Formats: sequence, C-alpha cells, structure tokens
Amino acid sequence: MATMHCTSRALLTGAFGSAFHRSSTLPPSFLIPCLATKSPASPFSTSPSSNARKDGNPSRGVSALHHTGPGKRQKLRSITPSQLPQPVRDPERRTAIVTDPDHGLWGFFNKERTSMPTPMDLVNHGRGWKTQELRGKDWEDLHRLWWVCVKEVNRLETFLGEKRRVGSMFGDFEAEGRMKVIYATQKAIREVLTQRFYAWENARVAAMDDVEVNLYADPEKGEQAYVPREEPEQLEADANEGTLLYSPPPPEGMNRGPEVRI
Amino acid sequence: MATAAAIAPFRVGLKELYLPDFSVVLHRTPGLPAHNAKFTVPLWFSKLDLRDYLYHAYNVRILSVRSYVKQQRIIEGDPKNPRPQPNRWHRPRALKHMIVELEQPFVWPEEPEDYSAWNREEVKDSEAEQKKYGELMQPMGDAVVNEERRKSMREQAKALLEGRQKWKPTTSRSVGSMLSR
Repeated sequence: MATMHCTSRALLTGAFGSAFHRSSTLPPSFLIPCLATKSPASPFSTSPSSNARKDGNPSRGVSALHHTGPGKRQKLRSITPSQLPQPVRDPERRTAIVTDPDHGLWGFFNKERTSMPTPMDLVNHGRGWKTQELRGKDWEDLHRLWWVCVKEVNRLETFLGEKRRVGSMFGDFEAEGRMKVIYATQKAIREVLTQRFYAWENARVAAMDDVEVNLYADPEKGEQAYVPREEPEQLEADANEGTLLYSPPPPEGMNRGPEVRI
Repeated sequence: MATAAAIAPFRVGLKELYLPDFSVVLHRTPGLPAHNAKFTVPLWFSKLDLRDYLYHAYNVRILSVRSYVKQQRIIEGDPKNPRPQPNRWHRPRALKHMIVELEQPFVWPEEPEDYSAWNREEVKDSEAEQKKYGELMQPMGDAVVNEERRKSMREQAKALLEGRQKWKPTTSRSVGSMLSR
C-alpha cells in the first residue's frame, strides 16, 4: 500500500469526511473541533526548518521500482486506482507456461526429454568412430559429427550439474564412460583431418620439385596443372627398380628454396 | 541452418571457429522466471560469444545476457582423486555463469518422483558409512567415541557382576595362536 505523509487532520477528514457524506453517521462530539477547516496549527519545533533539500520536484519520493504508488501531485486521468490490474500472487491461479516442443534448449536434454538420464540410459551406447571409418568422410560430415559430439558433451555436463544439485546418486561412472567414447570419436576426427593435411602438404612439397606439375596454373584461364611429358622418363637400371621404395634422386645443384620442408 | 544463419537477428562476427573444445552447461533455476536460463560457460567466453553459440548451435534467440564470475573456494588436493592429498591447498579456476533472457519461455522437465533408477538410498548409506570411518582417519580420530561399544561393554560388565556370565579368557586370533594353545 502507498505510504502517505499526512497529518492526523487529513486522515480524520478523509475518514470521516467522505463517510459523513455517504452514510449519515455523525462523528463523536469530542472530535468536532478536529473537523474545523481552519484549526490552529503550529509546528512542534520552534527552530526554523531549513529548505536546503527542497528542490521543488513535484515527483520527489514517487518511485515505480519501490512501489510507493502515485504521489499527491500525480493525477491518473485514464484509470482510477481501483481499475489497476492486480498481480496474481497465488501460483496455482497463474496460467501455466507451455514450452514450445521445438524449443532449441531441448538440445540440452535426451530424446525422452526427462530432467536426468538414468545410469541404464547412459550406459546404452556403442563404441566411438575409428580413424579408418572416418577417412572416407568429407569435410562437412566430419564437422557435423564433431558438433554432434559437442552437443552430447553439453548434455552430459547438464546431467552432471543437475546431479550435483540433487546430490547422492549414481551416474558419474556411466557418464564418464560415455564421455570417453565421445572424446575417442573427436580424437579420431582430429587425426583424420591432420593426416589429410599432411598428405596435402607432402603432395604440395613434391609438386614443387616435380617438373610435370605447374603449381601456378590458373584453372579458370584453362591452364593445366599437370602436363605429362611425351617420352616416358628413362630410369637407371637399379637393384631397387620397380619397387615402391625407389624414388629418383633430385637433380644436383637445384636451389630448394625456403618453402621446401625436408 | 543456412537460412537461420542468413537471417540472424544480430550482427554475426566474421571470425570462423573450427572444432571447438569447450562445453556450455544449462542449469535448473526454480528461482528465476521461465523466460530466463542460466548457463555455465568457459571463463574466456563473452556475452556476444554466448549469443552467437546459442543461435547457431541450438537455434535459441535471446534478448539479453547478464554474466558474473564466481570465485571458487580453496581446496585440498584433487576432488576427483579418491586418495586424499593433504596440505596441497590451491584455488580451482573460477566459474563464469551467464543468465539469459529468452524470446520463448522454457520450463525444465519435472524432477522424477523417486530416484530408485539412480539408487539414491544406497549412495546415501555408503556416504554415511564413509563419513563415519573418515572421522577416525582425522587427526582427532582417536578422540572419537564408539557409543555402541561402550554400551556393549557396560552390559557385559553388568552381566559379569551379577553372575549371569562367567569370565573366560579371550581366544587370541593373532599369529601366535598355534603356540599359545
């Protein structure tokens, strides 16, 4: 309720003044002097009151945040105080909030959308992806799989956070086992991408020495990056000829340059 | 997701991040209204990072974010390590929490009625046992009184004094039992 700064005279006039008009109850005789319009009033203290703090702001002391209610100078012209909507304080009478089934935050929960997965649900998983299985996957697929792993880790961490809040239950060991499988998959993804980069890097380095390859070719202009020679290369007869281990030695006196890594 | 990225409600950053290695944890907040959600994020995360992350990874739109860093209390040793490591006092890394105002409200699923699937009773009993034996391992462990033993000793003494039981020498179960037949 609004705290009002008012004198006893104002209270009494408010209480009895309106009541006097509506109902015909008369105030007691001993209170008649209080109802006099111009009763003698003087301040209790005789020392002069300083008006140093008076800034003349008509809205001084009126705050919406602190629920003071409208001040004496505030005039509600659109509605009366009785028409103001009242908050529903009883939680059972409030309208229930319906969560959208397509809400993005359901991604932090399991398929059954329970607050916590049971240890039996957590243990119900297979092994992680292996490097050999991922080698055939393209860039987009590998990154999609990575994000699937990230979201599953978020799900498990959310479960552990809720478990910490409730306390004293099983589930740590099972969640840890599931996380290990996810980390193994992520490690395999990193391994495949690293190997792919190394293969590309080795190919680039080899191409720089290769006479048949033109690394500065512009495919849009129709230039060919690989231009095979007309005669086949005459390799020297060697004991290792024909095996995969043999590679022709680089021509002598060739400047390798700073870019070539050995 | 391509269409979602094209119509992001905020200015998307140009820096591309590949293979992120962090986790974002959602918490239950019964004290906050349904339009709010609380996350624990990495310490280097910013409000803009969270907004971007939630939009692109989970398609969750937010109106505002508030963040605070919570310092952790100093602890002894590693809590994950079952072996106690006394006097290795240190302060673990602080936690960063972010409270987000969602465009669409989200209400957490209800708590399960009974926690039998998680075997809560067994864990509670084992924790009580651990606490009891842990007290004996403390520096003041030898000052811990075993009330049951006291009561049993009192009853045995009373039985002996009243003549209900006759005193017998205790059979030694030690290594020298074969010698002291």
